[in-house]
Amino acid sequence: MSSDQDHLKETDTEARFEFKKEQKAAFAAEKGLNEETIRVISEDKDEPEWMLERRLRALKQYQKMPMPTDWPGQPDLSEVDVDEIVPYIRPDVEVRGGVDDWRDLPDDIKDTFDKLGIPEAEKNALSGVGAQYESEVVYQNMQERWEEKGVVFMNMDQAVQEHEDIVKEYFMTKCVPPSDNKFAALHGAIWSGGSFVYVPEDTTVDMPVQAYFRMNSEGMGQFEHTLIVAEKGSEVHYIEGCSAPKYSAFNLHSGGVEVFVGEDAHVQYSTVQNWSKNTYNLNTKRAIVEKNGRMEWISGSMGSKATMLYPASILKGRGASDNHITIAFAGEGQNIDTGAKVYHNAPDTKSTIESKSISKDGGRTNYRGLVHIANGATNSSTAVECDALMFDNESTSDTMPYMEINESTVDVAHEATVGKIGDEDIFYLQSRGLDDDDAKQMIVSGFIEPITEELPIEYAVELNRLVELEMEGSLG
Amino acid sequence: MSAQLPANLSEETVREISDARDEPEWLLEARLEALEALDTLELPDVIQTPGRRWTNLEALDFESLVDPLNQSDETTREAPDDVVVLPFTEALDEYGDLIEERFGSVLDLETNYLTALSAALFTTGTFIYVPEDVNAEDVKIRAEMNSRSLFSHTLVVTEKSSSVTILEGTESGDADVEGERYFSNLVEIDAGENSYVQYGSLQNLDEDTYTYSLKRGDAGTYSTINWIEGNLGSRLTRSDIETELNGDASETKIVGAFFGHNDQHLDVNARVWHKAENTTADLVTRGVLDDHARSVYEGVQDVGRDAWSTNSYQRENTLMLSDESEADASPKLIINNHDTEASHAATVGQVDKEDLFYMVSRSIPEETARNMLVEGFFVPVLEEIEVDEFREDLEELIAARLD
Repeated sequence: MSSDQDHLKETDTEARFEFKKEQKAAFAAEKGLNEETIRVISEDKDEPEWMLERRLRALKQYQKMPMPTDWPGQPDLSEVDVDEIVPYIRPDVEVRGGVDDWRDLPDDIKDTFDKLGIPEAEKNALSGVGAQYESEVVYQNMQERWEEKGVVFMNMDQAVQEHEDIVKEYFMTKCVPPSDNKFAALHGAIWSGGSFVYVPEDTTVDMPVQAYFRMNSEGMGQFEHTLIVAEKGSEVHYIEGCSAPKYSAFNLHSGGVEVFVGEDAHVQYSTVQNWSKNTYNLNTKRAIVEKNGRMEWISGSMGSKATMLYPASILKGRGASDNHITIAFAGEGQNIDTGAKVYHNAPDTKSTIESKSISKDGGRTNYRGLVHIANGATNSSTAVECDALMFDNESTSDTMPYMEINESTVDVAHEATVGKIGDEDIFYLQSRGLDDDDAKQMIVSGFIEPITEELPIEYAVELNRLVELEMEGSLG
Repeated sequence: MSAQLPANLSEETVREISDARDEPEWLLEARLEALEALDTLELPDVIQTPGRRWTNLEALDFESLVDPLNQSDETTREAPDDVVVLPFTEALDEYGDLIEERFGSVLDLETNYLTALSAALFTTGTFIYVPEDVNAEDVKIRAEMNSRSLFSHTLVVTEKSSSVTILEGTESGDADVEGERYFSNLVEIDAGENSYVQYGSLQNLDEDTYTYSLKRGDAGTYSTINWIEGNLGSRLTRSDIETELNGDASETKIVGAFFGHNDQHLDVNARVWHKAENTTADLVTRGVLDDHARSVYEGVQDVGRDAWSTNSYQRENTLMLSDESEADASPKLIINNHDTEASHAATVGQVDKEDLFYMVSRSIPEETARNMLVEGFFVPVLEEIEVDEFREDLEELIAARLD
């Protein structure tokens, strides 16, 4: 095992996520949501007029739209009262848009991210790192050699100022309009922070860029926006990690992610989500993929009280392709409702969706997915595979795929299995000298391997550690 | 949203239907209750995805489709001697108590607007009773629909350790009815301990007819309910086949075949609830679509908290012969007990190119080869059919559609 891995193993993952810091903010909005709140946020950020207008339009849409309640088997959202959350907290950092030297961060924030292992990861394996604390990005840095090639990685608020034209064109216009769903509208009204990534034509960023999101205050909402524009022939891998300490009041995370994959470009978007178990995680993530472009969504959902997340790819150009890999782990009191959406809107498009879920101690997982093959999308193919593992009889595992096929020259396959952990597998491993707990952990690690092997080693190790912790909790 | 009560429908209408059949008071009461429930009931659930509704039942104009007092059908019933097979109304004389006890016990008449409408207005249907230890084969019911609208209710009761195989065929008769029509068919099966029922249904109504059908079985301990459903007719078909596995070690198979052409819309659904221990379900649906036809399929395998040691499987395969057709599918697993082996698989595609190439290379003309492959595609369904006549009919209808 390399020393990097040792380092990560040594850091007690549980301690890394469970600690909380005293809340110290330069500015916090009032609880609740109204036009005044939005104006205050926009003003605090010194935004151009058009962004304020978009926010206010989104707010109107949010107020008009009903709460989603009629999806079969969906998580209970009745506790989500947006008027009870604090939508915007600006932490106490001198420089707006964050600092680019780790040493300049206030000690308490630095300490938080040190515990999460962010600087260590940056040193070792990343092209750039952003870290968001509450509503604002507090640290953003990119290696010089990428900056020289014209790659942009900056916090979203800063991008509104410095890359106004691009942001104006792409921000919640053609990919995720606020009208898409109630939480997208909410996001459009009070978004703050997040990342902007721009990769010029024919540029390959060969080490991942990473953003880390942290909610530290009780009863707050985090609404970061991520916009990735990958020009023709470019390639980039973006990783996000999320965490929050556990409080008694609920937190709300409603992020928005928009990805534009140009012709022949390749974007991979990886998420390891470990929000605390009082967090409602309701995101909208979507990519538009041009001719021969390739989009990959890799998601690990371990945390949150309830998650509703269905990353979508719109395969717009001929030969565009999509690959989804998702893993959901629901323990006690958790409801992880996640899946994938793919629209095949052009000929020769391909998609593969691989979903793995684990439910235990009364947890509930649901795969909810939609594959749509439009008229004219000839010679398209899609393969969906869902596997679910159940640990006990208090848990629930649902699978709800939807397929809409409008073209005959296609290849559409969906498969799903649900089962308990195999007695024979456990018996075999026990006969090799492992105890019951270790055997189960090993089986689960094997079960999620298709996901972990897609992630950089740091993330893979972290995901495995998280799974181990979840398992220990139940078996101890 | 609940549909409007057609203006030509009132308590009087229902009393008139009931009086004409000299029905017992309890049945009139049941009909009136169903009629009253129409005010609050909704149309059957239809799958929705962002921006799309898979079947639009709201568009049906019940005002013009429902003509309750002029229902007419020509139904023949053939059965071995030791099993009771009677028109529903006739059966009330001799089996009134049993029917009163079981009517609406398996299928909640107030499931939705269309089931309540059917219960209030039905004028035809069959009562099938299989006494203990009787093994009956080839019960054949053939119905011709001769009116604007027809509502049918069938009740099957099998006693301990009995068995029966049933064919129910529905066609349009020669009667001259202008314009669109509506056929409603409710079937309930109450399968007693260790009994076996195969209920085969072949719907081939003309393409001016809208069909709603809900068939529901309650499987007792060690019993088996096997459904076979063939849908070739109607302009729009909404068909739901459902089994509740309530007895330990009970089993069900739901086998479906459909073949849509022109602008037919087929909304076929198979659902099973595992509610006891050691139960098994196998859902198999095979469909072919040509021209502008559209299919909608939902399969649900629901494993309850107490359904220990469950086996549950589902396969749905659709062949598309035309680019203009559309196939929508949603196979669902809802698993609440971990002691379960469950899987589902669904595919949509064309006739296999390599198979076709192989046959053409053996000098079979391409169209003949394609037709043979389509016929072969239905074999897994045909093989399940135990009433020979039913299998032959289905084979013939498939062949005729390919010509």
